[in-house]
Amino acid sequence: MNFNRVFAIVLRHIFTTMHQLERFFDVIISPVLVLILWGFLSKYVQNIQSQQLAAFLLGGMILWVVFEKVSTDIGVNFMFEIWDRNIINLLASPITFWEFLTGLLTISFIKIIIALISMWLMAGIFYNFQITSLGFGLALLWINLFIFAVSFGIFNVSLVLRYGHSIGPLTWILPFFVQPFAAVFYPVNILPPFFQKIAWVIPISHVFEGMRYTLKFGQFDFNSFWLATLLNMAYMAGSVAFFTFIFKKVLKSGRLVKLI
Amino acid sequence: MAKKVLEVKNLVKSFNGFVAIDDISFSLEEGEILGFLGPNGAGKSTTIYCILGLIEPDEGEIHIFGKDFKNHRSEIMTQVNYASAEFHLPWNLNLWENLYVYANLYEVPDAKKRITELLQIFEMTNWRNVAIRDLSTGIRARASLCKALLNKPKLLLLDEPMASMDPDVVDKGINLLKQIQKEENITILYTSHNMWEIEEIANNVIFINHGKIMARGTPLELTQNVLDVEAGEANLRDVFIHLSRTK
Repeated sequence: MNFNRVFAIVLRHIFTTMHQLERFFDVIISPVLVLILWGFLSKYVQNIQSQQLAAFLLGGMILWVVFEKVSTDIGVNFMFEIWDRNIINLLASPITFWEFLTGLLTISFIKIIIALISMWLMAGIFYNFQITSLGFGLALLWINLFIFAVSFGIFNVSLVLRYGHSIGPLTWILPFFVQPFAAVFYPVNILPPFFQKIAWVIPISHVFEGMRYTLKFGQFDFNSFWLATLLNMAYMAGSVAFFTFIFKKVLKSGRLVKLI
Repeated sequence: MAKKVLEVKNLVKSFNGFVAIDDISFSLEEGEILGFLGPNGAGKSTTIYCILGLIEPDEGEIHIFGKDFKNHRSEIMTQVNYASAEFHLPWNLNLWENLYVYANLYEVPDAKKRITELLQIFEMTNWRNVAIRDLSTGIRARASLCKALLNKPKLLLLDEPMASMDPDVVDKGINLLKQIQKEENITILYTSHNMWEIEEIANNVIFINHGKIMARGTPLELTQNVLDVEAGEANLRDVFIHLSRTK
């Protein structure tokens, strides 16, 4: 892994963001708008129900944004190179595809940190919700969310490699296929039995269960954490294997040079 | 004896039964400029993509700087570069930013100095802060050439770098390229459908059709041998038409 080349990819996206201010929408404005919406809903729920339920909703939303943004961002930033007709120039350089993906991942990491800080500030100031009340556990929950989002992003990129940019819009939609089963805003046990089975094999459903446990009992839920971690390892291995398989296939079929 | 920079041996590539490259072998010596000619779909770009590692050949070997390309790709690619008019640099970045990103990708030492030097050579200093999307086609092609020369490549692969440009721009581009090739002793593989470009720049020419090498030699040798005339000047246009129509 050559980090100078990874840095070059990061630099390319920093320059792009400087010129396309609408990309700030993705980083700050969109998460903040979502937070405002859910903040008011939580406030309403807090008045008619309990403070705890409001915290579940707001906490769920803040953590969901981590997954949604990172998983789509990796695919979208990859698509940018195709739309710019720059992908061949990039891949004809000394960079390896893994270095390229690491660059895209780093950019997503930077963006999600900025988004998280904006949401943390907004939630604290306007809705008196301290995501940091999750304590040290927040970092562990966050890591698991991020890892699953990266697996998902790698899967997304593999699909674009295989089927071309016409499949691009799926990049935005795919995370929402996971949402009903991920138990973001409600516990897994309210799902129908078959859906519960699906939910338990999705790492982030354990993350959200863990978040609710911590907010309710004030203790970190190690069970959920380890389950999410183990599942994440399996998903990461699966997405890397899938990507490697697809990459070899597109090199052989010549599809890589027909991406544009 | 001059060093072999690129050696392609028995390269074969087919796509779903269609043979794009059919057992071709050629090599380039240090400082040589090889014109790589052929009609559309002849297999020129596929050969270049194989050399760049973007398409995996079915059979054959590629050695660059004496090393097996498959096992030393990243190491080799630091001294190779590529440009094609078909591909752009990112549209929203200005010229300088684009070159700076690529200088980092190629780990160019003293990148800012090299960029300034190239912008001066290509007379593009005035456009350094202009976004690629706002540049004319000709300037964009020159920008791609700047990118391709950033790392002082020992091997340069140019796939129709001046396609769709007016003759004045092509003339300037060719002259600049000749100048910098001489100064930095670059080995170039150059494809084009503009025969004048090839006559101007290439020492040797390979003509391929249906994935096979049909003829090779200097532009003058090809003219004499293929057209069977005692020509005093190269006429690659007629050679091209003759070979393209040969079954």
